[in-house]
Amino acid sequence: MYPKVKATNLSYKINEKKLFQNISFELFSGSAIHIQGDNGSGKTTLLKIICGLTRQVKGNLELKLDKKVCFLGHKNALKQYLTVEENLSLLGVNDHPDLSKHLIQFGLNKSLDINLSSLSFGQQKKIALLRVFLNDSDLLVLDEPCVGLDQQSQEYLCTFINNELTLGKSILFSSHISLDINSEALNLSS
Amino acid sequence: MNVIKYELLKLRSKSRGWLGPILVFILIMVAFPLTVEISNKDLGQSFFSVLWIAMLLVMMLATEDIFLEDYNDGSLEQFAISNINMSYLVAAKIFIYWLLIGVPISILGSLFCLGITNSTHLAIHILPILLVTSYIFINVFSFGNALSLTKGSVLGTLVTLPLLLPLLIVLGKVVISINLNLNYLGFVGLLLGVLSIIIFIIPLIISYIIRAHLE
Repeated sequence: MYPKVKATNLSYKINEKKLFQNISFELFSGSAIHIQGDNGSGKTTLLKIICGLTRQVKGNLELKLDKKVCFLGHKNALKQYLTVEENLSLLGVNDHPDLSKHLIQFGLNKSLDINLSSLSFGQQKKIALLRVFLNDSDLLVLDEPCVGLDQQSQEYLCTFINNELTLGKSILFSSHISLDINSEALNLSS
Repeated sequence: MNVIKYELLKLRSKSRGWLGPILVFILIMVAFPLTVEISNKDLGQSFFSVLWIAMLLVMMLATEDIFLEDYNDGSLEQFAISNINMSYLVAAKIFIYWLLIGVPISILGSLFCLGITNSTHLAIHILPILLVTSYIFINVFSFGNALSLTKGSVLGTLVTLPLLLPLLIVLGKVVISINLNLNYLGFVGLLLGVLSIIIFIIPLIISYIIRAHLE
């Protein structure tokens, strides 16, 4: 069985300051890796390297994916001046059959015609998370997905991720909040 | 096709983005005859200088944050990891800006030409020149804004502005040719030639610049 992601001795530095060195891991189908580390240890950078947004300084990265990566970063990629419905259309999930189920769960089903700027930070995060909930990917890359979410939504996200793992998807995530997800830990601080 | 649809939705919803430049253009063109004490004939002669400079400034203003918003809110990151070709996205964005800003300004420019020069012949012949020129301006300023994406739009604009000076010289020659009833199609061909090259090259270069910024 081939790993979906195989990283060998990945290193990254900014202006001679080493963020992380010789990071190696393999991520198989149906498994998750929780990237841990202090602030500034390079968690976001590592996730961006895996998404292909940034290049490692040293090391080798192999991805064996049939579909595109689903990435949720610190930025939500939502437009404040558009309504929730228009933003869902931009995300390309407005016609998804499971959309209403998640909207009801997040209590956003009656907010479709509201401008995104009128929603709270947590509600905006929930809209951004719909990209993850309605993904069509082999690999989910989530950077601090629980920031701004209430307890109930965090649990809903964890249940969803655990369910995705049983469906054979691979997940890489970073989180300072302890999450009930079946995952291995990869610590960048050590 | 979806990319064009979504870019249209975004710009259309942001009225400040497209209506602002059009209003600035109207303001400049209306203010011009009010601020000079010269005869109608002299007004017609200096009109085109003002028209080209107004169009240049307005296009500069219109493209000020063409990529900045998508960069700040993470949309460019999402496009970079999606299967959509980044240069196609850039070309679509530029096309929508031209459609919502460049085309109305070109039509208004032609109408102002009719109002000031009282020449239907000139107004009709200047319209295609305005349409092509506005597309070139938007492309070149988008390139400048992509260059200075994280450093403010002024820097990129100043770098790219000299690239448009030869174009302004050609535009001056076009107006003289139309006024003297000379064949100006050679100049139109030149403008179309420039456009047909940059319409492919600039989105490609911008896509590499954006990827470099995202790193």
